[in-house]
Amino acid sequence: MGGRGRGRGNAVSFNIEQLGFGRGEAGPVSVTQPPPLFPSLENRPLPLIKDVENEYILVTQKDLSTRMRNSPFYLKPSENTSYEKELPVLWNRMPAELRETLPKRLATGNSKVTLNAKKKKVEDPDKIFAKLEKKERTESEVEEDGDGKEDEDDQDKSDDEKVEMEDDVVEDDDPEMDDETDYANNYFENGEAYLDDEDGQDDGEAQF
Amino acid sequence: MSSFTLGHFSQVCSQLLNHYYGEIVGQVGSYLLRRGNRMLNDIPTATGLSIREVKKALAVMIQHNLVKFQASERNNNVAEYTMIHHNVYCLIRYPKYLYMIKRIYGTSEEILLEILLNLGQASASNVIFHSANRLNEANVLSPSALHQSFQRLAQDNFIIRCPKLAENATLLKVPTLEIEEKEKFAVPNVEIEPIARMLKEKATQLGGHCDSEIIWRVNHERFDIELRNVILVNAAARRVDTTAGELYHLILKLWRESSNPDSPVTTPVSYNVIKDAVRKNDSSPILLEHFDHYLRVLYEDSAGLIDRAGDAGGGQFNLDYSKVFENLACASLDSIVLERFGSKALRLFRLTRIQKFMEQDQMQNVAMIPAKEAKMFTYKLLEHNFLQIKELKKGTSNFAPVKSFILYHVELPQVVRTTLEASYKGLFNAMVRQMHDLTENQRLLEKHAMLESMLERLKGDGVPDEEIAELSDTMPPAEKSLVEKIHLMSDNLTLGQTQADETILILESYLKFKSKEL
Repeated sequence: MGGRGRGRGNAVSFNIEQLGFGRGEAGPVSVTQPPPLFPSLENRPLPLIKDVENEYILVTQKDLSTRMRNSPFYLKPSENTSYEKELPVLWNRMPAELRETLPKRLATGNSKVTLNAKKKKVEDPDKIFAKLEKKERTESEVEEDGDGKEDEDDQDKSDDEKVEMEDDVVEDDDPEMDDETDYANNYFENGEAYLDDEDGQDDGEAQF
Repeated sequence: MSSFTLGHFSQVCSQLLNHYYGEIVGQVGSYLLRRGNRMLNDIPTATGLSIREVKKALAVMIQHNLVKFQASERNNNVAEYTMIHHNVYCLIRYPKYLYMIKRIYGTSEEILLEILLNLGQASASNVIFHSANRLNEANVLSPSALHQSFQRLAQDNFIIRCPKLAENATLLKVPTLEIEEKEKFAVPNVEIEPIARMLKEKATQLGGHCDSEIIWRVNHERFDIELRNVILVNAAARRVDTTAGELYHLILKLWRESSNPDSPVTTPVSYNVIKDAVRKNDSSPILLEHFDHYLRVLYEDSAGLIDRAGDAGGGQFNLDYSKVFENLACASLDSIVLERFGSKALRLFRLTRIQKFMEQDQMQNVAMIPAKEAKMFTYKLLEHNFLQIKELKKGTSNFAPVKSFILYHVELPQVVRTTLEASYKGLFNAMVRQMHDLTENQRLLEKHAMLESMLERLKGDGVPDEEIAELSDTMPPAEKSLVEKIHLMSDNLTLGQTQADETILILESYLKFKSKEL
């Protein structure tokens, strides 16, 4: 900060008095260590408002916390039971990928049970599976394959992490199989009939 | 999972998720808060949870309206998930919601709302069923009375229908949900008999029912409006007196009925309409008598609670939300400055805020504060970002040193945003501290709770007092006083959080309406 008033054009842009110090006084103390972890509390804050509303809120808050902690929605780490039955969630409003067992699979009788079945304690899928097996035995003879694959799943824990595992476990090497099911193949027309029907179309009406 | 990469607001949200839904949901939620739109596959690798746990967490959050999903553009069978920030934050306001409903309606509506908050999304029959169960000791309320309460809540828009599954939704992997405007609050027919029957059988679950596809949830926006109205009515009551508060409450209702909820200014309401409403409503006699005076006091007041917008119909009155919330935000900032720095600093702050731009000398003269103190406070306010500096160069001749004017001003949106961040941080700190206290002393607290419940039971069974005293001595007084202290601290922290939330509401509302007016 030299050049105070020493010749024209060398002066600094502010007046030292503007900072609030006189000529002789010392400057501010320089900082020698990091600031303390908590700043010191100079003024005590105002006391908390305690009125009817807040009393009610205190009680309700505790009640709500306990209720929510005990509700089935409070997730604790547990691997065992089938969560789809336990969790009182509206499953039909959610993306299918969130479900534990994919509904289409069960209906078509494919043997994919649960993705993370570490222990085979799951009762319901077993029962359904057994029923389906019986049905399938009367309908077709393909399911030997499926059983073998299912055991593989139980042993192979790393499959749990791989999301593409659904594709891995597919019995039929159907190249057109989209993610979990192949209903896409059957449900939508596969377009080959498109041109054939043109002769029989309406006269000049707009097609959407 | 490190929460250092989250902003303060997201930290609060993450803490709330942990508290109400557990660690797993908390971790998934934090990840989505930080990263925005994500697909299911990305989450397990980032959080270290198994895919099963991630699926459960997402399902829980979707159920409770905290996460929304959309079919990914690249692949229709996979969904992208996003957090609904506002709804997560509103978790902290649930007790307030219950208080408001209890005050406006009564216990049965309060229970209905609580059940709906617990379930997240549910059909009307389900809510009625569970509420009846909860109230079953009284056995006074029948399901049909609860149905009427439900209708009342829907009429006033406190609960809203969730979008329903679109026609082809069952075939899609990611269902599309849609709803029409007019259906949003329409209560379906609810069959009472099956519910009553299930209740008699003491069932815990209501089986299939006719309106199971019509799902309801809490309408957060409506509650926000109600919370803001409470603030305004309290402001009117503080400014004038409680009768003025009553009048203001009525006028707010009229405005709400006639205005578009999204507009920053309400439609004007005429004097005659207000007078009619006052007469129709069961108002106190003082209000009827001095109605004119009260109205006049309110609209001439500088707080902007009522603005006079015209003279037709005896006078037109409306409310400009941005103006009134600006005043409220300024009042909040003023009291913050007062409590932190003192009244002299407050004088400087208010002066600068009202006069817009001031130089240091001007400030100390007009505020009548000695120079050194003025400089110290100015610097302190500057340091804490309550004041901002603007430098104007005044270079004239080439030889003289360049003089610059240093002007101080208060840039309100910036100051409000800083204070808002500080409020979130304070809220977060209070929550963390509370969580820490409760988990550290969990064993002790549980032991105490068990002891208390046992004593209650014994007292109910008529066990003599000496035995009870003996049992209660199994816990030494030192421990008892510690438990007292913990409870007290936890209560204070909850109160602190509630008050911080009020400030946050005012500041957020100011920023919201400010951005609307531009």
